[in-house]
Parts: sequence; C-alpha cells; structure tokens
Amino acid sequence: MQNETEKKLSFWEAYFKKEWSYTAGGVMLVILAVSLVVVTGKAWGVTGPFAVWGGKLFELFGVSAESLNFWAEGIATYDFFKDIVSMTDLGIVLGALLAVLLAASFKIKKMKSWRQVVAAVLGGVLMGIGARLALGCNIGSLFSALPAFSLHGWAFLLFFFLGAAVGSQMLKRYFM
Amino acid sequence: MSNAIPVTRTRRKAQTPEERRRSKIIQISLGVVVSIVVLFFAYLAQQTNPAGAFIILVGTGFGYTLQRSRFCFTSSLRDPLLTGTTDLTKAVVIALTLASLVFMALNMQKFGMDLKQLEVEKALGNVLPIGLHTAIGGFLFGIGAVIAGGCASGTLMRMGEGYAQNWLAFVFFVFGSMLGTALLNLMKTSPIFWTGTAVFLPEVLGGWIPAVIVQFGALFGLYVAADYWGKKKAGAL
Repeated sequence: MQNETEKKLSFWEAYFKKEWSYTAGGVMLVILAVSLVVVTGKAWGVTGPFAVWGGKLFELFGVSAESLNFWAEGIATYDFFKDIVSMTDLGIVLGALLAVLLAASFKIKKMKSWRQVVAAVLGGVLMGIGARLALGCNIGSLFSALPAFSLHGWAFLLFFFLGAAVGSQMLKRYFM
Repeated sequence: MSNAIPVTRTRRKAQTPEERRRSKIIQISLGVVVSIVVLFFAYLAQQTNPAGAFIILVGTGFGYTLQRSRFCFTSSLRDPLLTGTTDLTKAVVIALTLASLVFMALNMQKFGMDLKQLEVEKALGNVLPIGLHTAIGGFLFGIGAVIAGGCASGTLMRMGEGYAQNWLAFVFFVFGSMLGTALLNLMKTSPIFWTGTAVFLPEVLGGWIPAVIVQFGALFGLYVAADYWGKKKAGAL
C-alpha cells in the first residue's frame, strides 16, 4: 500500500498545514462569489474603491472632495461599511493572514533588491491605471464578467494575457 | 506555486526543533486572535449594513481560499509562458466554467428563457461597456500584475502573507487607480476610446442557445489548449 509508506499526518498537518488543490480553491471561490451575488445583487470586485482610498489620503492634506472627484469618483458619499468591495478587500487580507498563521508559516518577506522596489512601484501604477480603464481588475472584469456572458470579460482576458506575456519578458530581462 | 518568483536563500539560520515548536504555538495563537478580529469587524459592519457581517465573512473566505490553494490569476497566465506548467490555468478555466453555469441560470431566471425581460444593466455579474479602453486597460494590467508579483486579489492576499513587495505595490496600485480614474474620464469624451456599449452575448447572438454554444465552446477550447500546451512543454507529446 502506498499510504503506509507515507508519513501519517497529524490532525493539524492534514487540515491546517496541507495546501488545497487549485481546483478545490477555484470551486470555493465560485461558491463564495455566487453567494455574494445572490445576497447582495452585486458581483465580487476588488479595485473599485482603491481610487477613493487614495483620495481620502489627499483629503487629509486639505484637498476638497469636489476637486478630488475627477480622480476618485464618489469620494464625497463613500462609506466603508456600505461599500461591499471595501469590506471583502479587508476580508481578503485578514483571511490570508488567518490562513498562514493557522498553518504556522507567516513570515515577513523583505524586498531583497532595488529591482523589486522598482517592479512593485511600476507594476502597482500600471495595475491601477489598467484596472480603471478596463472598469475592473482580474476579478471585476474577468472572474465576475466573463462568466456573466459579457464580451468585455473575454476582451479583458485576451489583453490581460498579452500584457502578461510582455510582462514576463520584462521580468526575465530586468527584474530577475 | 507562489506567484513571486522563488528566490533561493543561501544562508538561513536553521531552527532547532524547540524553536520551531514555539514559533508554531505563537503563530496558531495569533491565528486565533485574527479570527476574533474578523468577528469584531463582522459585528462592526453589521451595525451599519444589514448584510455587513456576511460580506466580511465572505471576504475572509476569499482570502483564506486564495492563500490555501495558491489560486492566482496572474500565475495562471504567466506560468505557461515562464515555466510551461498549466495546472493552474486549467483550474482557472474550470472555475470560469462553473461560474458561467451559475450566472447563466441566474440571468435566465431574471430575464426569461426568451430574454423578454432583458435589461442588460440589470444583469447579475458585471456586464460592462467594452471599447478600446478595455484593451488598453487589460494590457497595462497584465504587464503590471506580472512584474509586481500579483494581480489585485493576489496582491491583497500576499499582503496578508507578509510580502513587503506587495505592500509597496498596493500603495502605488492606489495612486495608479487615481490616475486611471482621471484618464478614463478623459477617454469618455472621445468616441474612439469610449463607446459606452455593454455587449451581453445572449443579446447580440440572438438568444441563449447560440450564446451557450459560443461561451462554453470557447471555454472548452481554452481548456484543451492549456492541457495540450502543458503536455507539450512537459515533453509528454
């Protein structure tokens, strides 16, 4: 028997430490996303409130909400606990933290080179611009759009792939 | 498979079994603390939003699932090109197919099998305008996600895991979003970039049947292509 040769996993190793399969993860995400749509009527998104969060920072420095609206739409009426996406975003960070802690594998991973700093800054800005132009990110304009039979979801997938191909070349050439 | 390109650490102090056991107990205890924090946020959200607690818990479920399964959209598109593996790509196609079935059923119920009650803006799921802005946006997003080591969901997930690079990427993701919002507002004044038309496949293809054939046919095609590519790169073909 193959099982007998493998080390027997403890309860913790089997249910908290062991990783899930990709397919199990995908199925769980679909079930969660669908339950969110059924209850709230709104599809899962991630990046929608990012611009407003940035705007709030400028507001702290005295910039008025009216003048920020061009850069951060809806900033005047924003309320964290009324915005579904803001709440699920907080949940994603906390849920991931919870998962690594329960698996006892949390570790602060520092950046090791200036290349990584440049990659994070450039990549972050490009994702921000891209997600707003496409009206959503890999979640809002792909995971919640393509399955809804929306052509923009298919278009996003195609151009996301082309961008990822160019990005892979840049990664190999400059950031690795 | 982590999205961040693995960097081999040359010198890392090995932990003694005693240290490892202590670190494990501390981490699991902190995990219990984080779950209490989640419940606290759920309680807080419930005070202003009747679905607040539910939404916080679903979000936590997203994060937990993303972390445990290493499910990452960026890797699913990048790995076939960098390493030639397509296991994650196939899992993404399976997830998109399952989600398509559910969204189809929900929208069939909402609009009727004959689409008599169709109002595209009320479709469940994001049926949003398509145009040149979608292509430019998707392309820039793809470049950014690969070099920053994580897409939107992946960046948030890896922030929770403790990756400094993703925290920095997040800060600039936020500023980039402000630039993008302004740029989109400018594009909206030009009919070249912005048409404002959402294309719902069952509407343009003339009913559910052709839409189902196109949608699931394309997804099946993607699955076969990913499977073929993975086998070819592994030398099995």
